[in-house]
Amino acid sequence: MIRQPNVIFGNSRLLITMGRKGELFGFFYPRRDYAQHVEDSLACIHNGDKLLWLNSHEWLSTQEYIEDSNIVSTELSHDSGIKISILDFVHPEVPILIRKFKIHSEKRLRGKFFYYSNLNVGEMDKKNSCFCDSDEKLLVQYWQDYYIGLKGIPDFKEWQVGKSMDTIWWTNAKYDMEDGKLQNNKEDIGQLNSALGWDLDIEAGGETEITVLIGAAQKRTRLYKRMRELANQPIDNVFEKTRDNWIMWLSKKNVLSLSVLGEHNMAKQEMFSAYNRSLLTLNLLNDEKHGSFIAAPEFDSNFEMCGGYGFCWNRDGVEVVLALLDAGYPEYCDRFFKWCEKTQLSDGSWFQRYWLDGNTAPSWGNFDYSTQIDETGATLHAIDTYYRSLEGIAKVEFLEDMWALVLRGAEYLMKRSRRGVHDPCIDLWETYYGRFSYTNASVYAGLVAAAHIAEEYNESGLADRWVKHADFVKMKTIEKLWLSEGYFAKGIVDKKLDPTVDASILGMIVPFNMLSPDNREERAMIYSIIKRIEDKLRIKVNNHYGILRYEGDNYIEGNPWIVTTLWLSKTMLSLAIAIQGEAGSEKQVQQLVIDATNYIKWSLRGTTSTGLLPEQVDKFTGHPAWAIPLGWSCALMLDNIRLLDKIR
Amino acid sequence: MFCSTDDTANIIWFDISYVDTISSQADITRFFADNNVNIRFGYLDNTEHAKTGKYIIFTQVEKSVDVDKLVVDLKGLDVVHDVEYGISSCKMVQSVEFPLNLLGERAIIARATTFVDIIRTLYENVSQSDGLLMLSGLKGGINAARYFKGITTIDENNFKDILKELFMATGWGILDIECNCDIMSGRIFVHESFIADSFKKSERPVCGYMSGYFAGFITEVVGKTMQVREVRCKSMGHDVCEHTISLAPQGAKLEHLLRGESI
Repeated sequence: MIRQPNVIFGNSRLLITMGRKGELFGFFYPRRDYAQHVEDSLACIHNGDKLLWLNSHEWLSTQEYIEDSNIVSTELSHDSGIKISILDFVHPEVPILIRKFKIHSEKRLRGKFFYYSNLNVGEMDKKNSCFCDSDEKLLVQYWQDYYIGLKGIPDFKEWQVGKSMDTIWWTNAKYDMEDGKLQNNKEDIGQLNSALGWDLDIEAGGETEITVLIGAAQKRTRLYKRMRELANQPIDNVFEKTRDNWIMWLSKKNVLSLSVLGEHNMAKQEMFSAYNRSLLTLNLLNDEKHGSFIAAPEFDSNFEMCGGYGFCWNRDGVEVVLALLDAGYPEYCDRFFKWCEKTQLSDGSWFQRYWLDGNTAPSWGNFDYSTQIDETGATLHAIDTYYRSLEGIAKVEFLEDMWALVLRGAEYLMKRSRRGVHDPCIDLWETYYGRFSYTNASVYAGLVAAAHIAEEYNESGLADRWVKHADFVKMKTIEKLWLSEGYFAKGIVDKKLDPTVDASILGMIVPFNMLSPDNREERAMIYSIIKRIEDKLRIKVNNHYGILRYEGDNYIEGNPWIVTTLWLSKTMLSLAIAIQGEAGSEKQVQQLVIDATNYIKWSLRGTTSTGLLPEQVDKFTGHPAWAIPLGWSCALMLDNIRLLDKIR
Repeated sequence: MFCSTDDTANIIWFDISYVDTISSQADITRFFADNNVNIRFGYLDNTEHAKTGKYIIFTQVEKSVDVDKLVVDLKGLDVVHDVEYGISSCKMVQSVEFPLNLLGERAIIARATTFVDIIRTLYENVSQSDGLLMLSGLKGGINAARYFKGITTIDENNFKDILKELFMATGWGILDIECNCDIMSGRIFVHESFIADSFKKSERPVCGYMSGYFAGFITEVVGKTMQVREVRCKSMGHDVCEHTISLAPQGAKLEHLLRGESI
């Protein structure tokens, strides 16, 4: 089932995605892409008469992060006078989710607090096994070496383990909860669900606290020890430790001044918050062990309406690591490029997308004609960008590590662009076959990057060959794809020039620098591209304009995208930085900054209530749409704010 | 639903609100006869208010007839309060009012094959489809029983009659229920089960949705957890579908299942 989260949190081995009422959507352990163990997991009150599921429409909710952390606060209120506060966080060191419920009732409340789970451990909806150790007061569900455990503080009083999809319906924990009393069945196998129960007896105006721990481990004994140990620790101390851990991580960032925003403290605060939230989000999308990133937490694992997002694309990955590098976190580059080394195909290219451990992911790009050449160009470009940031021994070591990769990658780009325009392949939006402006720019940038690295490696012959071919690609791209109307065509599709205005032509400028704002002739082309995109792709939502991907886009209703909007603002800010200081440029710089800032603010109006940046903004409602949060959106937000910070 | 193939006539429906007297319906019917309007189908509803009624009539009217004038004249009858009407351009008319209501909820008319197509799709594509259908039926049975509890007294003494009439009214089948309510044990025979009839041939019982419905309904009424299983099914070549009723065993431990205790 497709369910977009309102919030995500976790640690390096556990990623949680959650709805706005505190219902778990995803419990990813030990990687961000696999395995997702939860179908349903949420709390429910039995008020003595009926069940009040916390995700029902009867509850009003507000949800936000605790500032500068990946700790979530959810507040729920019910007409009957019950209020529930949930504090959700994951222990910084072990994969245990801590869910602290505070239940307040205006009237006397005698009933039950239930915690219901429908787990598919190991992403398996069969062959699971579940048992309740009533001595240890621990409920465990497992499949192979995935063990998920639930424990309460205080201990739960009753429980049920049952079959969630069987004709013996009375064992089903969800039905068992209906009468307010659980059967205490201790074990079962198959497709299962479970419930834990606590007595509730709250005086009018009173409250009580129940904490639910949901932990994961690869062995039963390890799970027991972890859960027992954590249950014995004061939860408030664990909370403090978790918060300190996030604040410490965030303190490494490059600090902003944003002097260009002057005394607009609200605007500054908004940017500071967006900067921090983007950093904290990207941390959660990263696989620390392998160095890769998911594009977004998976929410359509059955590929019902799209191809899924819980995989690593080089295209997205390089955007993310370069943004993190610029924000003060170079270690993500190092790990990611080591991952690229392992995942590069024998022909020098990269596959459409990968599992985080480097295995190739489900793909519709299995052939030469259906691959995405831009991912290879973008990767080489990013490697060189990182290389240029290094100094001393680290620089030398990185060059040695990367040379073979760069050589293979560059030769692949040479082979796929012999005629100056790349061979037919799939575009960056993964929708069209053809030869594309954006992809050509990536080939150009990849070859320029490779040439620089070759020079550094004393391979000047190769460097010369690659840079000459890069210039040839640039020349041919302008010759064949630049239109007299003043912009680049989307590409050549079905052997015909496709003049569709596509926001990805911004890639000619950032990040691939095929057109440089420092060159006056090319600067004019850049202005013209910006104007064309604003004329053709702006759409008014949330009282300002977002940018569509391309004319006639109908993917998920054809909404404006955060990526394309922030891509445009990034281009504007890059241009502003290039011309600032030139005589008479003040007004132009000022206008570019105002326009870019408005696009950034528009993007922030499209976030979830917790500040997560989505892929798209619904053009009818103005709400965040589709993939939430999207790493690429976060990376571009960082880029924009960092550029804004460089404007004086 | 019915439709006409006569190109010279329109299908027109009238929703007539009238004063409920002994002759009201006759007056209205006579009006249509006098105006040469052919009544094809109709029904009365005098349940909503004490002194007013609703008369829904589906007619076939020659295209030459001035319908607006007909309605004005109809409204002129002493017994008529108001008239709504509509012309079916495709000559297709539903035989019940829209939106249809059943047991306090929105209902639709669907062919039995539609339901059976869904069941077939589940069988082909979903693991544990029997459980899924059982749980879906269970929900329906529970909700139906709750609805009846809200409007009338329903208990061990009368639930069988209510269930029978409900099945007949909805066109699901004709029930014979044998149940000893002291020990909550018995059988339900379903004649003309819409699922089995439409499913045609099968090697396994196909009316699990109904089993779930019965289980939910009876559980909700008697307050005891019931197990209902279809043991004979017309789709398998039996004369009639038969569901056994029993109290659910306490829990369902694997060893009980292996010993067949809960079956």
